Amino acid sequence: MRVEYINPFVEAAFSVLREVLNTELTRGELFLKSSSQPVLGVAAIIGLTGEVQGRVLFDMDAKTALAVASAMNGETLTEMDDLAKATITELANMITARAVTKLSELGFDFDITPPAIFTGSNMEITNTSIESLIVPIKMPLGKLEINVAVREKT
Amino acid sequence: MKTKTDFPTINERKPEGVREDGTPFRVLIVDDSMFVAKQIGQILTSEGFEILGTAGDGAEGLEKYKELSPKVDLVTMDITMPKMDGVTALEKIMEFDKGAKVIMISALGKQDLVKKALLLGAKNYIVKPLDRKKVLERVVTVLKK
Repeated sequence: MRVEYINPFVEAAFSVLREVLNTELTRGELFLKSSSQPVLGVAAIIGLTGEVQGRVLFDMDAKTALAVASAMNGETLTEMDDLAKATITELANMITARAVTKLSELGFDFDITPPAIFTGSNMEITNTSIESLIVPIKMPLGKLEINVAVREKT
Repeated sequence: MKTKTDFPTINERKPEGVREDGTPFRVLIVDDSMFVAKQIGQILTSEGFEILGTAGDGAEGLEKYKELSPKVDLVTMDITMPKMDGVTALEKIMEFDKGAKVIMISALGKQDLVKKALLLGAKNYIVKPLDRKKVLERVVTVLKK
């Protein structure tokens, strides 16, 4: 996978998270995954279509997701209800939209699909034909993993 | 701290959402994200605006606009929504009411759609993530036009 695809997601995630959470962030080591991997508990997924295809997964454990949703709403949410899910979905949407804008400025043209959110324990995701790169982001509220799997259209 | 003298100045500031005669500006929020609708609602009600209604897609937004017209002073319209997208809903609202004041709410990267919306009669647009200052500034500018 070309690294040009990844940086915009990292930059977009940092800028959006800083804006909505008003907090400091650090990036963990990037790593590649080509087989199955566990999902932390709350995962928002957005598809990419166009010259480049693939998907981006925003993965957090339930506690972190609730803390992020609470911070974004300015109130304490106690369960992953519809509002909490809508909040995490919107976060994924904003980050992906910003990344795609940066990528289109670099000459890569593609669009995003409406997001979906998975919640539950004991889930894993398997990519059969695209390897994925994982960007861990450490926030005071917990860890967010951005899992990007893209390839050029063949 | 001698803050006494400061308080009257703060309190004298008129909320942005209220007209000279004391009646609130009335807003219809059209957005498929519960989070965004709530966020816009909170920002506006904190300044005295009245949320007349909310709709979760463009078709419902159009229907509600027709039903509530002419009481709606302003519409906030998301762009990407199921059933009917925001640009189509805007077009239909403008056909129904030439004087409608619609502000588009957009994620970054939808410049073409935003441009199209402005040509179709949208009065302004706000790019997400939303913040209080940005939302109020745009809304007030549109209402003053």
